[in-house]
Parts: sequence; structure tokens; C-alpha cells
Amino acid sequence: MTSEANISVQELSYAEAIRDALDIALERDSRVILMGEDIGVYGGAFQVTGDLVHKYGAERVIDTPISELGGAGVAVGAALTGLRPIFEFQFSDFAALALEQIVNQAAKLRYMLGGEVSVPLVMRFPSGSGTGAAAQHSQSLEAWLAHVPGLKVLQPSTPEDAKGMLLAALEDPDPVMIYEHKILYKMKGQVPSGYYTTEIGKAAVRREGKDLTIVATSIMVHKALEAANSLAEAGIDVEVVDLRTIRPIDRETVLDSVRKTGKLLCVYEAVKTLGIGAEISALVAESDAFDYLEAPIVRLGGAECPIPYNPDLEKAAVPQVPDILEACRALHEGRV
Amino acid sequence: MPVEIIMPKVDMDMSTGTIAQWHVSQGDRVEKGLPLFDIETDKATMEIEAPTTGVLGSVSPTGVALPIGAAVAWLYEEGEVVGEPPHPVANASEIPASEEDVSSTPLALENITIPLVLSAADTQSASIKPRATPRARNAAREKGLDLAFVSGTGPRGRVQYRDIEALSVDWSASKSPQSFDQEVGDLVVSRTEGSGTPFVFFHGFANDATSWFALERRLVGRTIIKVDLPCHGKSPNRSYADFPSLVAELRTVFDKHVDQPVHLVAHSLGGALALAVADTRPRKIESLTLIAPAGLGPQINADALNGILRASQPQSLKPWLELLVADSSMITDAYSRAAMVARESANLRAAQARLASVLFPDGTQSFSLKSALERLDMPTKIIWGKADQIIPWQHALQAPGRVALHLLDGVGHMPHVEAPEELGLVLGALK
Repeated sequence: MTSEANISVQELSYAEAIRDALDIALERDSRVILMGEDIGVYGGAFQVTGDLVHKYGAERVIDTPISELGGAGVAVGAALTGLRPIFEFQFSDFAALALEQIVNQAAKLRYMLGGEVSVPLVMRFPSGSGTGAAAQHSQSLEAWLAHVPGLKVLQPSTPEDAKGMLLAALEDPDPVMIYEHKILYKMKGQVPSGYYTTEIGKAAVRREGKDLTIVATSIMVHKALEAANSLAEAGIDVEVVDLRTIRPIDRETVLDSVRKTGKLLCVYEAVKTLGIGAEISALVAESDAFDYLEAPIVRLGGAECPIPYNPDLEKAAVPQVPDILEACRALHEGRV
Repeated sequence: MPVEIIMPKVDMDMSTGTIAQWHVSQGDRVEKGLPLFDIETDKATMEIEAPTTGVLGSVSPTGVALPIGAAVAWLYEEGEVVGEPPHPVANASEIPASEEDVSSTPLALENITIPLVLSAADTQSASIKPRATPRARNAAREKGLDLAFVSGTGPRGRVQYRDIEALSVDWSASKSPQSFDQEVGDLVVSRTEGSGTPFVFFHGFANDATSWFALERRLVGRTIIKVDLPCHGKSPNRSYADFPSLVAELRTVFDKHVDQPVHLVAHSLGGALALAVADTRPRKIESLTLIAPAGLGPQINADALNGILRASQPQSLKPWLELLVADSSMITDAYSRAAMVARESANLRAAQARLASVLFPDGTQSFSLKSALERLDMPTKIIWGKADQIIPWQHALQAPGRVALHLLDGVGHMPHVEAPEELGLVLGALK
């Protein structure tokens, strides 16, 4: 947490913390506008924007037509003119329809116009499984956008970070993509009141440990912490690194932790193959931290299939606490 | 298939060789046995003959120091296309940076008797490298340790950092006690699954099952059963009244772990035990290979035995280890440290001292297996280094005529460590 830190703290849910950030942003900067499908009177698909339309009016909290491509295009244009649009997708899956505007326009314009313009656009992507919404409404596609230079991609895991990173994103002159896990919306946590920002590109060590490192993202940070606490009773001391930003990655925090523990487990909900775990593994393999490894790197990611509708299968398709426990034990006991 | 010509080791302390002159030009045909090239060493120039008839290709340059064992050219058969060699020929950049590097690498000294032509099986087994974690490799590099001589405690024998760390123990604090704690439990037996008739290995006194490492690399793919003798390696420490009670224990282990005929291979004291076991279990032993075996005469180097037993630090162990091998430069500081780690337990050293006092009172082999050797009718070989300073190799000459003798020049008491290629060829021929 940086800048204008406020001593007073309140308990808010992750969704409430985002609404708090939006409220503060709309209040302090007249250039800020919200855009998205059903974010006005309806309050947003996950009730994140809530009643902000009544406070700031339909000119600043804008319901866009059912066209992700059109809405995203207008948002890019608005950012080019100097506004600070915050665009909400109903489900991150639907961003597939808007990729042209995100990848070919928002990410490229500063480069292609020699730095003459910038696209100060913030986009919010409700993502992840666990809601029983099946294959087209449950994916974790953040690695897609993290592959595009010109974008920043965030995955806040706590209410405090959800607020602080959103406010930090608004200060960034370039497009910032924020993936919010739908299951986290109801999670409560201590959130500082008033304006503050959380640094983009800086991972957080959520739990210090000496035996092995878990690098996790989003909801998996909480599953990793739960596993770590139960492993502590068995005398296994796990360090949990919350990546928070997947582009740019905080290389040093990851490498420092691996140099300390010599064992690395990557846990993420997205499909395992070609996901963030591959990037973290390669980062370590390419660095001097490789020389500190005492076991092969292990990845736990989603199954190689669309997210199933059946609730039991849906759970089985992404890493759960018992999977993390077993992976940690195997690493610690020298079974890998 | 073209035949690889390698830089041979023509001198005991040579680590590189320089080709002074080729007698045959690239692309020309040479007859087997005719001069192929001259090697220059510090001491002399030697002529090397063509191991087979063929057309010379992929020739290494003259005047450049090349590592021992490196391919320097290939001989192609009539009709074979002279082209790219199956793997690159040597160039100077492959040579270790300095002489020190070579001498601190005990494994390099396995090259004592490299045959001029490597068989396919040899090149295959030579590619098997020790498993180790990156952190362990890094630590070994810093300490100048050879991973091949570190026994790994990780999965599938992988060397972990803690295994390297164990080699840095401060020995000065430890003292060898007079008495020791008796331990119970079974002897430790490890089994590697493979094909063919299994090999059973009994190691020698003050050694353990890890001493078979170099030889095992020449027997890849075979079933291997290794026994840690009592008071050795990971087996329990306890006292035995006499040689027969030790044999009885080994026979029990043999019966428990061997359910089909095996090739029994044994070194030194293990050789005497193997003779005794073979005498009572002849139908379960397809062949017997005795490497510098005890039990064939009264003489044994009591000074070396006592020195090894007394040593509580690498510095005092090293001079006695040097007596085990013909080429004492093989016993580097790193090797001594690794050997001392294996003897770290004061309890183990005390148990071995007690065992030695029973088996070798007053520096004499108190047991004789000569009559057992005369009785046995399974195919039996004795392998002995003619530079053995622990047990005189001439004991081998008492064997009956049907026992095959392999007497190795320039090899000491540890042929399986000093000349694993040779032993690999001998044992690999057993089906």
C-alpha cells in the first residue's frame, strides 16, 4: 500500500472494495467513467457497480449495448480522447468477442503512433469457476492477455488489493486488465478507507516459510494458505507468494523465495498447459535460482478440458486444497 | 558402422595426448595392424596401430592436446560413406582447464585401461551420469567434489544438497571408541531389476555396497542384488564370535533374497564369504567371480587394515586408502572425504575393529577357503590386480586349473574401481 495511506480500516467484501474504489475514482476525477453491460440500474452481473448510477448519473455510469466488441471499441476511443474509462465485462469469457479492440488497438496504439497517444483504459474481467456456470462462463483466460506487450494484467486476491490495484490502474497511462475471481467477490477482508494505491508489478509474500515455495494467483492464494497452515502442523514450513500481477511479473520476489527454499510449486486455476505456471517455471530455470533447486519444479493447474457443469466435476477440474497438500508433501518428502 | 579411434591412455599419469603425426591421410585406406598415428607424451613418442582395416575419416589435427578417450578419427568399412562421424571428434576446447582439474576428478582415473576400440555397449553405459539436484551440483562444483562418488539420499538415488553438506563435516571432533552399541535387524540388501541371470555382489572389508558403482555402470540393464555386510554400510553393527558365524549370517541373507541361480561376485573379505556360501549353496550359483579374494593364504597388509580402522578424519585415512589402488593419485582429497563420510559413525568403526580382531588376529587371515575352492564345480574366475598391496595376488596361483585367472597389470586391490571397463567386459559376457 502506498500514497495517502489512511489509518482507518473497515471490513468489506471483495466486491464492496471494488465498488469503494470506483466510488472514490468517480468522486475525485471527473474524467473517470464506467462502461459495461447492465452496470447501471441493474447494478452489474455480480452487483459490483451496485447503485453508483444513482449517485453519478447515467452519463458517467454507462450501460452499453450487448456487443462486447462495440463497447470495448468505444472505451478505447474514450481513453484516446483523455477520459479514464473503466470497462466491465459480464464474464471474462466474453472478452473473446472484444479481443480486436484489446489486443490490436488498446495494446498497440502508443507503439504505432510513436508515443503521441496513450490508452489509459482499465478493464475488469469477472473470471474463474465455482459458480456452476459451465464451460462458457467459468474460464480463466488471463494468460491470453498476459501474452500481449502493451497490456498490464492484474489478479488481485484480497479486498484490499482489489481496491488498491484498481486505483493504481487508473493512474497508469496504459491499458490495465484486471481479472477478478467471481468466488472472491463475497470474500471479506480488512480494507483501508479512502484513497490509496497498491503497486502494480509487485508480488506479496502472504506467508513466510523455509521448506518450499508456492507461487499462486487469485483464489489459489487462499487455497495455498489453507494448505500451508495445515502443513505447518505437520512441521512443513511453506512460503506462499501471491503473484498479484502476471504482466509484468515480479521476478525478484519469486526468485528470492526459490533461492531460500529450493523447492517450487506453482498453483493456478487456468488450464495447466501453457499457463502462468509455465512462465514461472521457465523464469526460475533461466535464472541463477536454478542452482538452488533441490527438486523438480511442480505445477498444479486446471484440467485439460472445458469447465464441466456437474458441480463435482467442476471441482475436480481445478486444483483443490487436498491436491496442494499432496503436492507439497511429495516435494517435501523427496518423492519428486 | 564406422569404427571409432580414440586417444588411448599409454601412460599411467597421462590425461591428454597429442598426435604428433598421422601415417595415413584422410580418405586413404589402412590395413589392420599397420601404423596409424604417433602420440607424443611427456616421456616418449608411441606408434598406434589401426585396430581394423578401413578408410580413414574425420581426422583430428596434429599438435593439439586431446583428452584421453576422445574420438580422434573414424575408420569406415569398404562401401560405407565417409561422412559425418556418429559423434563429433575431439577438439582442444573439451580439455579440462588445468592438470589440477583432472587430478581432482577421481572418475577420470577409471580410464586406466581404455581399450582402443569402444564397443557400443561401453559408449552407452558411459553416458549414464549421476543424478543430482541443481543445488547439489552447484555445491559439489564449489567444493571440487565428483558427484559420482557421493551416494545420493534423494528419490532414485538423486544427490541432494544435504549429501554434499555431509562431506563438509568437521572430523577433528570425533574419536574412535573402544566399545560399540550392538544393533539388531536384517542386513541391508538392495536390488536393481533388469534382465538376465541376476548378479549378487558381496563387498570387501571396510567398504560397502556403494563400492560397486563404477562396475554397475558397465552392467546397465542387468538385475543386481547388493549386500551390505554386517558392520558395513547401512547394515547393523554387531559382534561375531568367529568366521563361521559371519558366514551363517550371510547364508541366511542369501537364502532370503536369492530364489534362482545367480552370478555371485565378491571382493576381498566378501570373496571368502562367497566361497563359503557357494560351498553350501552350489545349485543356486551359476558362476562365481572372486575379486582379490581373502581366504586363500595367511598374508594380509595389517598396517593398512589398522590404519583404515583407526582413521577418524580424511587426512589420516588418505595414506591408507592410497595403498588400496595402484595409482595413488586416484585417491584425491575429495575421495578421502567421501570415504570418511561413509565411515563417519564411530560405532561402525568400532564394530569393524572388533570384526577385524576376530577375522584377522595378529594381522593374519585366520580362515582358509582353499579346500572350498577345490571342491566347487561351477564356472569360477579370479580377478586380481598385480599391483595389489593388501593381499598378495600370488594367492590366485593356488587355484585349481579349471578356475580362470584374470591378472591385471597396473591395478591394485580394487580392480572393480580401478579397471571397471575390464571387469565390465568379463562380467557382461555372463548371460
